[in-house]
Amino acid sequence: MFGQQALGGTTAAPSTNRMNDFEVTMPPDDSVSALEFSPSTISQNFLIAGSWDSSVRCWEVEQTGKTVPKSMKTMGGPVLDVCWSDDGTKVYMASCDKQVKMWDLASDQVVQVAAHDAPVKTCHWIKGSNYSCLMTGSWDKTLKFWDTRTPNPLMAITLPERCYCADVDYPMAVVGTANRGLIVYSLENTPTEFKRQDSPLKYQHRTISIFRDKKKAPTGYALGSIEGRVAIQYVNPVNPKDNFTFKCHRTTGTAGYQDIYAVNDIAFHPVHGTLVTVGSDGTFSFWDKDARTKLKSSETMDQSITKCAFNSTGQIFAYAVGYDWSKGHEYFNPGKKPQIFLRSCYDELKPRIA
Amino acid sequence: MGRKKKKASKPWCWYCNREFDDEKILVQHQKAKHFKCHICHKKLYTGPGLSIHCMQVHKETVDKVPNSLPNRSNIEIEIFGMDGIPAEDVREHERQKNGGKSDSDDDEPAAKKKVEIPLSAPPPMMMPPNMMPPMMGQFAPMGMMTNMPPMAPMPPFLGPGGIPMMPPHMLPPRPLFPAMATTSAAAVNPAIVPQKPTFPAYSNATISAPPTTNNPSATGNSAPPEGSKLPPSVPTGNATGITSKIMHPPEDLSLEELRARKPKYQQKLTSSNNHQQRISTSGSMMQNHNAAVSSSSSMTIPTSSSTSSAAAAAQAAAFSKAQEVSAYHRYRNHSQYNY
Repeated sequence: MFGQQALGGTTAAPSTNRMNDFEVTMPPDDSVSALEFSPSTISQNFLIAGSWDSSVRCWEVEQTGKTVPKSMKTMGGPVLDVCWSDDGTKVYMASCDKQVKMWDLASDQVVQVAAHDAPVKTCHWIKGSNYSCLMTGSWDKTLKFWDTRTPNPLMAITLPERCYCADVDYPMAVVGTANRGLIVYSLENTPTEFKRQDSPLKYQHRTISIFRDKKKAPTGYALGSIEGRVAIQYVNPVNPKDNFTFKCHRTTGTAGYQDIYAVNDIAFHPVHGTLVTVGSDGTFSFWDKDARTKLKSSETMDQSITKCAFNSTGQIFAYAVGYDWSKGHEYFNPGKKPQIFLRSCYDELKPRIA
Repeated sequence: MGRKKKKASKPWCWYCNREFDDEKILVQHQKAKHFKCHICHKKLYTGPGLSIHCMQVHKETVDKVPNSLPNRSNIEIEIFGMDGIPAEDVREHERQKNGGKSDSDDDEPAAKKKVEIPLSAPPPMMMPPNMMPPMMGQFAPMGMMTNMPPMAPMPPFLGPGGIPMMPPHMLPPRPLFPAMATTSAAAVNPAIVPQKPTFPAYSNATISAPPTTNNPSATGNSAPPEGSKLPPSVPTGNATGITSKIMHPPEDLSLEELRARKPKYQQKLTSSNNHQQRISTSGSMMQNHNAAVSSSSSMTIPTSSSTSSAAAAAQAAAFSKAQEVSAYHRYRNHSQYNY
């Protein structure tokens, strides 16, 4: 109540850049819901962010940490996911307006490529050995595959529940749904259900990310729930003990009360194979799943961290700070602006060798 | 009973006499069990390191290495993995391993035995009577274990190295392992759970598997009851008895679904959508689309020609559909996507 900050209303607010990272210029006006770096097929780094303000923005990230806004598109509703095509020429944007649009960056044109009966929660580009297509997951309980040139999906798969999170790393795809559904797909030849799994977590699934083995082939996934917990699961565990869960994004509040926050996003480092989790509590943590240790945890941001991403070389870690609705609309403070930060992360994510 | 090690070269922890398959795991063990600051849980690298950390950071003196055997609690000795262990202790350990003495015997030099036995006597209460004394070294630390660290003790601790330490009547689970390896984690549960009461919940011995592996499997097993209580259970007590609060709305809806319902976003949806649909009926979008179709189809022809499977056929079909540009436009403008 009597903190100095509360009294000094006129003094400049303390910096929200708690980790002294590079701040992306001209961020969206509302929380960032999707964040993706361009693939390794293009030499420069472009960052795409989708937002609740319905916009999708593109920046070029220079080696100096400077960001140059390049372009922006607006969807018909809040954007829930974005992804890049494998060649880095196009960006797909999934929205609450039940559509997915393709943004051709070279021509700066946008066309609709997919549609659902409910908001589209996820979109992923599948670059297969004998086909390429767009996978979209929606709250209409379907997973659809699109050629992007035809109005009808190449294929539609009915999900047991609404799609909450998904990830694709050819030839593997995973989908996490409401009511703790978890399905692994094999994308070889044509997408087929590989295995339905009992959830390793007791609470709502929120984010999922595929990881690779030493030979760089997808081998398992990390699943994050709203109960500050991440499960590391191998699709075919050699030993059942390979699978485990760990707690994260929890704070000890007053009187031994523990506040447990949602895991908002998980990303694996493209080179080291270590991972980052970002949470509703406003922190990010770097982890080594093989050594089962935490490598680093950040200071607590002013707001939640909603999304994060690594660039293709693993040099840059981007994270978006903004409100994630975890405390309801009452706590939405339009005065607090969303921010995106870039951090040089290559060394911090190196696994420690004992 | 007569468990004889074939080779004595396994790395072992000087502080608690535990053996490990791998020195890397030993180092992890030492950091987690013996070199962890009890105040901030920072893991240090050596005993002196811990002592200095506590002195400098917390202004506290630590005079004993946590979770160590009574005669091995010297914090001044710098031990890292197998490095730094006093030569005599190495020899002593070696000697025991080689079965020089009866297996029911000391882990310590005889002179120190007297000290050890009374102190480690309490743990055996929960051990089966036919437990061998060498296990004491293992069990002694577990009483000291307090809260689980964020990363629970790790399965590597309980690898095969730990299993032979089990008294004979605990061995039955072992043959199950190969079978379990092929089944899902859930299958482990029935095998492990019944044993659990024999041991304290978070022991660091062989059975400490449950805290880690049990989480996933327990969920799987008890899914139906869990699922039913899922939605409203915001405040939960967890195993350690700390009350906790999940900072997430109680409904079984995602944050995004809740947020998308808000008038602010709904409005945007309806207004802009109608707007955009209109715009898209006008020429510019159509042209774009045409352009996209032609360019993209030419782009992907190589892919489809390089394939010979059903996917190619599907794509070919898709191509022909793509030519029906006008049909697409009808779809785009008149489909069910009106708001």
